[in-house]
Order: sequence, then C-alpha cells, then structure tokens
Amino acid sequence: MPASEADPPAMIRLEELTKYYPGSDEPAVDAVTMDIPEGEIVVLVGPSGCGKTTTLKMINRIVEPTSGRISLEGEDVTDVDPDRLRRRIGYVIQQVGLFPHRTIAQNIATVPRLLGWDKERITERVDELLELVGMDPATYGPRYPKELSGGQRQRVGVARAMAADPPVMLMDEPFGAIDPITRDRLQNEFLRLQQEIEKTIVFVTHDIDEAIKMGDRIAIFGNDHRIQQYASPEMLLSNPINEFVDAFTGTGASLKRLNLTRVRDVALSDWPTAASDSPREELQRRLAETEHSFLLLLDRQQRPLRWISERDLARSDWTHHGGLKVRAVVEPHVTLHNALDEMLTSNVGVATVVDERGAYQGVVDIDTVMTAVNAMRAETRERVRVAPWHGVTASDVADATESRA
Amino acid sequence: MGAIEYAIDNWDRLLEFALQHIGFVLLSIVIATVIGVTLGVLTYQRPTAAALVIAVSATILTIPSFALFGLGITFFGIGNLGPVIGLILYSQLPIVRNTITGLQEVDPAVVESARGMGMSRWQSLWRIELPLAWPVVLTGVRVATLIVTSIFAIAAYVGASGLGREIDRGLSNLGAAWAFDVVLTATVAIVLVALVLDVLYMLIGKLTIPRGVRS
Repeated sequence: MPASEADPPAMIRLEELTKYYPGSDEPAVDAVTMDIPEGEIVVLVGPSGCGKTTTLKMINRIVEPTSGRISLEGEDVTDVDPDRLRRRIGYVIQQVGLFPHRTIAQNIATVPRLLGWDKERITERVDELLELVGMDPATYGPRYPKELSGGQRQRVGVARAMAADPPVMLMDEPFGAIDPITRDRLQNEFLRLQQEIEKTIVFVTHDIDEAIKMGDRIAIFGNDHRIQQYASPEMLLSNPINEFVDAFTGTGASLKRLNLTRVRDVALSDWPTAASDSPREELQRRLAETEHSFLLLLDRQQRPLRWISERDLARSDWTHHGGLKVRAVVEPHVTLHNALDEMLTSNVGVATVVDERGAYQGVVDIDTVMTAVNAMRAETRERVRVAPWHGVTASDVADATESRA
Repeated sequence: MGAIEYAIDNWDRLLEFALQHIGFVLLSIVIATVIGVTLGVLTYQRPTAAALVIAVSATILTIPSFALFGLGITFFGIGNLGPVIGLILYSQLPIVRNTITGLQEVDPAVVESARGMGMSRWQSLWRIELPLAWPVVLTGVRVATLIVTSIFAIAAYVGASGLGREIDRGLSNLGAAWAFDVVLTATVAIVLVALVLDVLYMLIGKLTIPRGVRS
C-alpha cells in the first residue's frame, strides 16, 4: 500500500515479497507489502518463526526472495548484484560478527576498503565513528574484538555498519544478547544517535517493549507469516486490529502507552505552595483556603522541601522542619510511566515535577495521567480518520474503539 | 659409543643428507598444502564431497609406503620424483581434513556479516575465512610434515636422497661391525630433523597467526 501524502517518501518498498525455503510447502514470508519511510525506525516484531528475520534478510538479499519486488530509493534492486547492493546497506546482527583477526579500526574500515577509499579518508572516518559511539579511537582502535565487552562490541558493530554512511541500516536483534541494563543504555544511546544521523532503519526484535521503545512504526508479524498490522506504536496499543495483535501487545497495553508520553508533554496540575519561612498563621490561612489537605513548602530557590498538613501546623512544637519529606520528585524528560510509578510511592499521591535546577514546576496526579491517556486515544482516533494505515479501515478502528470503551 | 664417534667423524656428510631430507620434505609439503587446501576449500560446504575427499585421502595413507614407492618406479623411474609424489599423497589426509574442519568452524555470524557488508564469496574466503581457519590448517600441515619426514627415509631404496640413504646402506651391510652405528646415527638424525621442522612451524605460527585469534 502506498504511503499517504503526509508520510515521508518511501526509502524501501517491499511488494508482495514471498519466500519459500526449499522442501517446505509453507511460505516463510507470505506476500509482505510495506513502505519503509525515509529517516524512520521501522520495527518488525513477532513470535519466532513468523518471518520477520527472513523479511529483513531479503532486503539485502542474504536470503533471495522467491517472488515479489524490493525497491531502494525508488530503484528496483530485486535483481542487481547483491555485493554492490549490500555496500549501500548497513547490517548489524545479534552476534555482531566482528572479524576476530582484525583490529577494531580495521573492522570498521571494512566497507570503505571494499569501496576503495584512500587511507587518509578511512582513518578519519574510523576515528569519527568511534567518537560517535562514545569510544576513544586511540584506546580502542588498535584493540582486537576479544578484548572488548559485549556492549562495546555491539557499539563497534553499529559503527562498522555506518562506516560508508549508508542511507539504510538493517538491524537483526542488535541488542538481543546483552544484559538488560546495558541493553537499556545501548537503546537510549542508539535513539540519541538516530536523532543525529536520521538513517532509515529496519529493526527486528521479538520483544514488544523494545519495539514500542525503538519504533516510529511497528509491523507485527503473525504465525501465518504475514503482517497483521503496520502502524505507529500509539495506534497498535490503542487500536489493535485483531486478537493476535491485541494478545501480542499484551494486557498491559494501556500501561505501555504511558511510555510513549513524557512529563514535559502533558499539562501539569497546580498545588498550593508557600515559602518555607512564612509565619505559621499565614501557612494555616493558605491551607484553609484550598481543598487540599497538604501544603507544599518551597525554599528560596523554589525547591520543594516538605509536605505539611493542618495537624503539623497545630502542633505545639511546630518548626519549619515539620511535616513529611518530599519524595517522588521527577524531571520533565521522564516518561509518564516513570512518573506514575513515583506517584504510587509518594506519601501524598502525587509526583512533584522540578526543572533541571530543582525548582518546582507543578505536580503529576492521577487526573494528569487520565487526561493524557484520553488525549492520546482521541489523537490516534483522529489520525486513523485522516490517514488509514496499512490494512486498517476506519470501521475496524471504530469497532475496536467501541469494544474497548 | 661407536655411533657418536661415527657422527662426529662424518658430520659434514650427515649434514648434507639431512639438508636433502629437509629439502625434499618441504618441497613435497608446499605442493601438498596448495593441493590440500584447494581441495578443502572446494568441498567444505558440501558434506558428501568433503566425506569423499577425506575417505580417499585416508585410504591413501593406509597404503604401505614400501609398496607405493616400489610401484612408483613403473611410472617415474628411479630417483626423487616418485617419492615426492608419494609424500604429497600421504600429506593429504591431515591437510585436507584440517582445512575442512578449520573452515567449517569459522563462526557463521562472522561469515554472514562479511557477506552482509558486501564482500564477494571469494573476498570473504580469502580475507576472513582462511585467515581464521589458518591455525587449524597449519596444525594439519605440521602433522603431515612429521608423517612424511619418517616415510621419506623408506624412499631411499628406490633411489631417493636424504638420510634414508644411510639407513639403507647400514641395513644392507648388517653383518659389518660399523653397520649398526650407521643405522642408529641416521635414525637419530631423522628424529632431530623432525624436531627442527617442528620448531620451524612454531615460528611460522608465531609470525602468521594474527594476535586477535591467538589463544
């Protein structure tokens, strides 16, 4: 299906792409048609054996398609020389596959050498790439792959894939074999990197949470080796097209959606505050004026200090250190999911938002979260009406929305 | 002891035989390596062909060298040519088998990333797979060298050069007082030649196995 007018032009177009492996009656990939827009991360996700990896490997013809067409930048590449094609496409796999007998610098220089760049240009590019992935060229360039940690190897794998500045990168479970903490860091680093490099990226994973985090769009493959739904993460979570997608995105779909919004994107609620050095009578008067049972005390730099209640103020031994310590303080860049988590642990049921200097901005309460969820739902519905996505008709969405309401 | 005295008195003669021995062994091994590695490269991805090549080279190694060199006279006459061809044949099993094993043991992810970055089949083989298989191939070559160093001694009876000449001369004159010393000296010399060649392989390994794959 061609992309709608609002979408960026397709960098990769797959048309009716099908693969039968020899000796199998069942296709590994069945008539996959999709447009992969320029500069976006498109995630292929699904259970094992669904055809997501085979689809990825047909794009650089590591696996030759049985039928169908592949276009890259508007050019039909289904039958061109695969070696030349691959030098235009970055490729990162789970096991990384660094060449153990070559240094890190030589590994990264692989494609530039194949393309016949001169030595000086290669050295410059290798240093630039190592810097880009946060590794010191002088330290790591001369090392061998076995001298690096798993996370460092994966970074080198990404740098190597970007060496000749290909417009397209294919990544097959690139963070799959890495411990969860390092994986999270590499994902964040990669997203930051992508903001700079703006490559067109096809990314395979079996982890729906990773898909939601990384993807501008997600294609969910089913056990029938076809795409079930191809849409933005918001769309998939709010309007799953069928039971398979619904089940695959999981019961926590609404909770996952909170990962897509950040505190800075929502309207914060107000909370009554007062300067911590105000006299007791004034604090009592302020508190009586509001319907809240706590007052938030701020210091001279507007930083939250204590929560105080009427009872604290009534105590004979009242000082400005009375009341409860302010916990659950978040900054605007955290996700609503994090904020909700903090909120639940806070003693007054709100997360306090501060700017980078620690000055009070407002609070996130349950109403803020609900408003944001409703707004997201409305926005997706609106988008469906304007630009139907792959295989989704407006009536499907209406049905799905009804049944959830 | 007589053998030591004999060795001291005849060291220049023995050295010449030893150098001939080393020369013909290395000549055979170089040719055998080219043939064996080529056979390995051609068959390592085809299980049936690989099994066939290994079976044939194993069978060759079971032919008694005495018989093989004798039959060789029919085709190549007296001299070094027949024995050198015999040594090349005997070398095939360790070289071919280790080439096949070495290439098959290269991490498939490494090969996939090489092809995925646009290396041709040949570039991937030459720049990535063979260098990574090299330590295993080299071990095969080393074993082949040990085998043919001792086998070449037999070839003296069809007119080949080397330390086998001395053994042949001693055995043909076993009744004589000096014969035993000659055989013993030449045998020890062959063992020394094998040790020297082994040290040579250690050096070759040090020089040619890249730091990143050395264990």
